[in-house]
Amino acid sequence: MVATYAALSVFLLVVGDHVPTSWMRASGAVLFAPFDRLVLTGDRLFAAWRENTDLHQRIAQLEWENQQLRIQGVENRQLREQLELPPWHGLPLHPVEVLALAGDPVPTSATLSAGQREGVHAGDALLTRDGLVGRVTESWPHLSRASLLTDPNQAIACEVESTGVNGILRVSLRPSPRLLLTAVPLADTIRIGQRVVTSDLSLRFPRAIPVGRVRHIAQEASGLMQEVEIEPAARLSRLRQAFTTPGPTPPDSTGLPRPHTEFEPRRVAPPPTAAPGAPHARGARGAHGARR
Amino acid sequence: MRPLGGFLLLAATVLLLRSTALSSLATRGLVVDALAFAIVVWSLRHGDLWGSSFGFFLGLVADVDAARWLGRHALALALLGYAVGRLSSTLVRESARTQFALLAIVTLVHQVWSSAFELGGGAAAAPWLLARALDATLITAAAGTLLLMTLRRALGRPLFGYAFGTASQD
Repeated sequence: MVATYAALSVFLLVVGDHVPTSWMRASGAVLFAPFDRLVLTGDRLFAAWRENTDLHQRIAQLEWENQQLRIQGVENRQLREQLELPPWHGLPLHPVEVLALAGDPVPTSATLSAGQREGVHAGDALLTRDGLVGRVTESWPHLSRASLLTDPNQAIACEVESTGVNGILRVSLRPSPRLLLTAVPLADTIRIGQRVVTSDLSLRFPRAIPVGRVRHIAQEASGLMQEVEIEPAARLSRLRQAFTTPGPTPPDSTGLPRPHTEFEPRRVAPPPTAAPGAPHARGARGAHGARR
Repeated sequence: MRPLGGFLLLAATVLLLRSTALSSLATRGLVVDALAFAIVVWSLRHGDLWGSSFGFFLGLVADVDAARWLGRHALALALLGYAVGRLSSTLVRESARTQFALLAIVTLVHQVWSSAFELGGGAAAAPWLLARALDATLITAAAGTLLLMTLRRALGRPLFGYAFGTASQD
């Protein structure tokens, strides 16, 4: 019997990538969802009690900040009108509960309490109030599954908020699990503590979602690029509630997929015919230039 | 029929704990290998045939849940279940020292085997993964032995029975 199991396991190791397992995970998620909720109830009650005090303080602080932001918002709107820039569009957020985590050696995916019927679809970004957490990869009628930032298969186009330096965020297990901003040229200046957000070059995530802060800067082994270690904004060890927001818009008339950007008007008028080699109408960074 | 009910109940409990409470602990660096613990307990109690079957089933579900390397846990746990099941008839199963040793060996083998798939062709992560496997081994063996001792005290009777009818010295 054990020889049969061993042979079957080896066979699965060889051909496992071609076996469709999504329906099995969907069945498992449906089966375990009520029990997951039950197990998590105690933990969440205790956490809710502790968080209550923190939230009261935070509300007071945010109310004060909100007053300041209102004034700045009015100023910003007036300035954008003067510069003829399109207005800001907020992100539509769907609240979801994180039911379970899975993955070795660190959790790389999460089961979410909402699915297609609740408006959560594959490709949606998953975030908390602190920042980006991951991306919905599978969606079933009432549940869904998301890959977290810690998934080695994730690669996210990001930029340093204050300077616009671009890079690709990946998880590295060597020598221990950490988030790295890679493909950053040595000539680009980055400082410890700067905020990193999703880039408008990203095909998968809306722009300007906080990802983390620069923790450490080093040279890559090749000596040609910088290796920037990022401290994640969202606390992945305390995932309970999160939000999903729609991913990029479907391919446009050119057939190229393009992201949704908050600064972009709902409907973009066709650009005026430009001479070959002329700079892009939207500025030097070319919002829809080379996409990752 | 009774072992089958226990089989499903233990598997469901382990998988549930693994995806909720234990995964939260794992993100804080405290790794408890619930799969290894369940395999040792089940194989000690029911022998090699049930041990390998339970290991294969539990491993396969864990593989499907992880969505990568289908067969990784199934192979290791089926073989470990078989090995512990074979040993169960020659060991003093109620001995805390035996349980600690079995839990430590099974956890270490399982952790090293499953971590090897995460190396991705490079050995730079090996020290961290090995340290993590050793941590998991110590934590799982200590916590598992303590849990089994507590259960034995609470129930007031042996959990596994005695090998060849001999009394435990522990």
